[in-house]
Amino acid sequence: MRLKEIQRTAHQAWSPAGHHPIHLALGTSAQQLDASFNTTAALEIFEVDFSDPSLEMQLKGSLPTTNRLHSIVWVNFGMGADGTGGRLVGGSENGTLTVYNPEVIMSARADADAVVGQSDKHTGPIRALDFNPFQSNLLASGANDSEIYIWDLNNFSSPMTPGAKTQPAEDISVVSWNRQVQHILASASPSGKAVVWDLRKNEPIIKISDHSNRMHCSGMLWHPEVATQLVLASEDDRLPVIQMWDLRFATSPLKVLENHTRGILSISWSQADPELLLSSAKDNRILCWNPNTAEVIYELPTANQWCFDVQWCPRNPALLSAASFDGRITVYSVMGGSLKAQQQSTADKISSSFDTMDPFGTGQVLPPLQVPQSTLQDTIVPPLKKPPKWVRRPVGASFAFGGKLITFENPKQAPVQSPQPVPRQVFMSQVTTETEFLQRSRELQAALQSGSFNNYCQAKIQNAKSDAEQDIWKFLLVNFEDEARIKFLRLLGFSKDDLDKKVAHNGHGVDLPRESYLACNHSLCPSFEDTDGLISQALLVGNFEGAVDLCLNDGRYAEAILLSISGGEELLKKTQQKYLSKQKNSISMLISSVVTQNWRDIVQSCELDNWKEALAALLTYAHPEEFARLCDTLGGRLEHEKTEKRCLQACLCYICSGNIEKLVECWASQRESSTPLGLEDLVEKVMMLRKSIERLRNSEVAVQSPILAEKLTCYAGILAAEGSLGTAMTYLPENTDQVRSTFCNPTTKPPKRIGLLHLDCNKYSGSNKQLYAPCPSPGFLPHQPFHQPQPMLIGGPSAFSPPGPPMSAANLSGPPLQPSSSTPGGMPPMPSPGVPPTSFMPTTSIPSGPMPPSSQPGAPVPMYPGGLHSQGPAPPMASGPYVPMGSGYPQGGPGAPAVKPFPAPAVAPPPTGKWSLCIQKVPDNYTPPAPITAPVMGFPVEAPQPHDHAQVPPGAPQEPSVQVGINAHNKCKRLVFVFFPLVSPQLLQQLPAERVEQKEIPAEHMVLKSTFDSLVQRCQLAARDPQTKRKLDDAAKRLGFLYDKLREQSLSHNILNGLHEISRCVASQNYQRGLEVHTQVVSSSNFSEISAFMPILKVVMTIANKLGV
Amino acid sequence: MVSVINTVDTSHEDMIHDAQMDYYGTRLATCSSDRTVKIFDVRNGGQILVADLRGHEGPVWQVAWAHPMFGNILASCSYDRKVIIWKEDNGSWDKMYEYTGHESSVNSVCWGPYEFGLILACGSSDGAISLLTFTGDQQWDVKKISNAHTIGCNAVSWAPAVVPGSLIDQPSGQKPNYVKRFVSGGCDNLVKLWKEEDGQWKEDQKLEAHSDWVRDVGWAPSIGLPTSTIASCSQDGRVFIWTCDDPAGNTWTPELLHKFNDVVWHVSWSITGNILAVSGGDNKVTLWKESMDGRWACISDVSKGQGAVSTITDTQQTEQ
Repeated sequence: MRLKEIQRTAHQAWSPAGHHPIHLALGTSAQQLDASFNTTAALEIFEVDFSDPSLEMQLKGSLPTTNRLHSIVWVNFGMGADGTGGRLVGGSENGTLTVYNPEVIMSARADADAVVGQSDKHTGPIRALDFNPFQSNLLASGANDSEIYIWDLNNFSSPMTPGAKTQPAEDISVVSWNRQVQHILASASPSGKAVVWDLRKNEPIIKISDHSNRMHCSGMLWHPEVATQLVLASEDDRLPVIQMWDLRFATSPLKVLENHTRGILSISWSQADPELLLSSAKDNRILCWNPNTAEVIYELPTANQWCFDVQWCPRNPALLSAASFDGRITVYSVMGGSLKAQQQSTADKISSSFDTMDPFGTGQVLPPLQVPQSTLQDTIVPPLKKPPKWVRRPVGASFAFGGKLITFENPKQAPVQSPQPVPRQVFMSQVTTETEFLQRSRELQAALQSGSFNNYCQAKIQNAKSDAEQDIWKFLLVNFEDEARIKFLRLLGFSKDDLDKKVAHNGHGVDLPRESYLACNHSLCPSFEDTDGLISQALLVGNFEGAVDLCLNDGRYAEAILLSISGGEELLKKTQQKYLSKQKNSISMLISSVVTQNWRDIVQSCELDNWKEALAALLTYAHPEEFARLCDTLGGRLEHEKTEKRCLQACLCYICSGNIEKLVECWASQRESSTPLGLEDLVEKVMMLRKSIERLRNSEVAVQSPILAEKLTCYAGILAAEGSLGTAMTYLPENTDQVRSTFCNPTTKPPKRIGLLHLDCNKYSGSNKQLYAPCPSPGFLPHQPFHQPQPMLIGGPSAFSPPGPPMSAANLSGPPLQPSSSTPGGMPPMPSPGVPPTSFMPTTSIPSGPMPPSSQPGAPVPMYPGGLHSQGPAPPMASGPYVPMGSGYPQGGPGAPAVKPFPAPAVAPPPTGKWSLCIQKVPDNYTPPAPITAPVMGFPVEAPQPHDHAQVPPGAPQEPSVQVGINAHNKCKRLVFVFFPLVSPQLLQQLPAERVEQKEIPAEHMVLKSTFDSLVQRCQLAARDPQTKRKLDDAAKRLGFLYDKLREQSLSHNILNGLHEISRCVASQNYQRGLEVHTQVVSSSNFSEISAFMPILKVVMTIANKLGV
Repeated sequence: MVSVINTVDTSHEDMIHDAQMDYYGTRLATCSSDRTVKIFDVRNGGQILVADLRGHEGPVWQVAWAHPMFGNILASCSYDRKVIIWKEDNGSWDKMYEYTGHESSVNSVCWGPYEFGLILACGSSDGAISLLTFTGDQQWDVKKISNAHTIGCNAVSWAPAVVPGSLIDQPSGQKPNYVKRFVSGGCDNLVKLWKEEDGQWKEDQKLEAHSDWVRDVGWAPSIGLPTSTIASCSQDGRVFIWTCDDPAGNTWTPELLHKFNDVVWHVSWSITGNILAVSGGDNKVTLWKESMDGRWACISDVSKGQGAVSTITDTQQTEQ
């Protein structure tokens, strides 16, 4: 279809293929005069700009010439790297050959001459011009009298000839360089003879001549790709054909292209597609041939005029220009299209031109141009019938989901008639660019699956690139080991053993509070001199107040405090106050914190440079319930400093507290985690920390953290993009369950591929509701922290009947437990609302109420190294105070004497409020840890009140049956305890063995336990004021020491007898008598033997007496 | 590493022009100068011919899978000026719609993001771009941008359904007000951006850098960043990466990825938008990746589906 048009009668030359933008040079034609009969001549250059949809071409430069042209070419020679310039060469009617610089013409510079060379060698009109496609400085020209010259544009003055002139002399109408062999030139004359010259031999090598003698050669072109083939076009109306010759069979044409009805004026062979040959003829048609098949594949819609020159555009293969005798140069596209809009604009253009122009000088205005509208309607120009080569995409590469690359290629040159069909293959490839990332991801995955976390962490420590990195991995490793707290301390530079040694040597000389405390313990041996004697006696009779007073007066604060611990809260508080009011030295604050357990002050006010000490103190003293929060506070302060060092230290704090979310945030704030490897760094740590917590709690840990979800999604995205789809799925945060499920059912809702999840992640991070939308698929457990444990609440604060043994099996084989499921059916432990609240009144199996947080000032200083994060194999929470300590309890933790004064308390999950714990399932590869002291417990979700922390009941059931209990010891607090005995077969097998190892309270002394426990429980039920309750709670714990001693059978006969006597008194509710017996026992026994429990027994009996239970 | 995991022998009788995997990577659609479209099930490294779709009367240039939420739908475009939308029903593929509104070869088809429904952009050598929107009941609404690219449009590619720059501040729960946008490249050497305003398609931007036909354009998938990225390749051998940080989408900056010695036919972004596959003349396929400092480097030369992958180093970058 027509694209551009201009009114000129001219010869045309396209700018070379490398030239940009495309220009068209027009030199006034010598053959005919235009409508104006103007005799001037000019060389004009137009820009063909297709971003301008109009038919106009913009004139870029013009140069008046003295001669009209018979031929013009635009040569690569001298073209700049920027794709501009070159040389225009024009052959004139008088034999002058002129070389122009088109840049000068276009810039219209006055200082430079546009004509860079001129020669009058030819004696007649130069009709033939062609430049060598290999050496752009070589130009061939042909004129009359058989003149052919080869010009070197570098040395323009002396042309050479290809050989002796052919005889008889005749006009040269065409010259053409071979497209494959650079020293071959062909010339043709109107007589129809073509001569092929070899410039190396300087002679003609072959002559082609049609014996019909009717060929009147108007055009000759070499095949663009086949070196031995050329076409000749005949201008003779009697033989309006194109002959295709092959020099190897030069006796007759290979093919004859017949379709034109009158003589052919011009031909042009597309260099972009050899199957496209243009011809224009005196039958007013422009045809496009496939010369290989000799068929016409296209006919251009042309005006009814002869075209004396057609030319393909070298740069844009779909374009051609045609110069017609009616004075138009038209640019066409062979790709078809619609002419409607353009024709309209052309018509407007023409009529407007004529309105203002008076071409004939008549002084009359032309009548309005009648443009028939109907013809404008549907001028749809079809494209070439045969798709040209340049639109046939031969190669392609497309990415697909999962880092796959789909590629195909086609043989560059399709064999002409190959017997073997070309294999048409498509390759599907996996692209992996992050080799190290994948390798490390595989290692992590292997560790996660095999559970060899220790080895993994060890390897990480060894290969750590920085100390900070190494520290982090050491801390992470410790989480997997026993006595984690102690080891944390060691990592912080506080070795208990070393200290113990120092203590042994130096006595009181060490300035750490813990050491002085230890020292006091060690030096406590009764002697009977002066004050010492008095104190001892006071102690032995249970007169704590007296003993403390004695000590204080003597300046023996340590003893005073130590004693007051055993003497009850009030005494202790009083003593502490006295002491602290007197002490004003540098470590008093630390001591104060230790004693009053006000760790919040420490973490909030300590110098950050002393973070190690602060963390060490926390590790040693902080109550498990507070520990995590305190660690986080400390970490938060460190993180707030925003330096890299501090943030890494903060990371250590978060590792100690097990706060994955904060770890991720802190890490991400300091380290690059958007690159694959940076992300891998982070994910490795998170997964290890998570695993250690899971291992500790024996349940899967769900972290509701948008930032972690985002990071994991990115991580999974990279994995997916690298082709590790399976692994990627395992990392996808649960909120993307919808993504997973839509893998199965893509039609229901818009599925997303993992690779696109970044977006979703971002989208959802603002809205938790969306994030944790319930997942309909039972296969996936959504972690829904907001879900209430509905079934349990049905029963309210009453009680549940033990669901019974079948539960354990169900837990193993059935669907994963969903304690947080909102559907009652999904909750295996069914509530029994009908059971009256009293049914859980004191029994032996539920010995006492829950232990309150024992963090009030004045309570004995609990030390928890080996607490929350520490118990290696056995989930420590399972070990209530009444259960004999297994090996999991750190024997001789810091400050622990032979007697264990502070048993590992039952621990709640870190009350950060950001955690939700659900028992999901027993991992298939889960191996029960060795010392099982009680059924493994899981922590259900929190009760509605956010300040309520799920707590562990203090008494662990003796038999591995399911017990669900709700204790209503405090009306405003509803603590929900759920025991899920995740008893695997292996575990069941192990249990008997455990019992053997674990000493039972001898049968004869069991009565002591049951009596005292029930006494405490009765008191708890009856007690009203908080202080009494606290005392009782404390009692429930401290009685554990008694039971420990009973198990160890370390109590003397005397004491045992006394205890049994007390027990009988208690059973008969004769507390007065009991107290008397108590005094007797105390006064007659070794203090160290009884100090752990006798005072509390007295307290309990006093309360019981008061309450009258 | 680029390693062949499956070689599909398509048995096409002529040149293959396009091969596209479906959303899940389980099916492969190919099209060829033999006028056919073939669909293969390629799961587990196999190749089962699922369908051999005949209906075009010329070489089929491109195929495009619709998002699976609409069913199994494939669009194909051909030199025969037709666009055919094929749909699978009960395991058999049939014509769902045939669009004959172009006057020349239809060179490119691309489905819009699923958020916009079933909408197909088609670019043709007649210079126009058509937008076909499924309105239900077998009805398709057609909008046509005439003379989008003089002498022909070679490629169309949709923008992801995100509003650049406003992504982070997106009010939650509110359906974002996406603007439909796509990019096209044509024989006028231009890359053009189009956007829909009040139901009308308007030229938004005109990006000029290429000195020859723009053969392909690819709008990179959004990776959650406020930057929009477009790759364009050309007959002139150049590949440009266009980026726009401007929330209004008005300022596009070109960066020359590379100048090849031959025509570059095709660009394709990886799903995560971080790797660009460039396929050019001489059957040359190269993979490009942006380094940390924002420079593009060739990481792989792929031949017959195989290739090594190099990490981006400084030396390599200076060589580029």
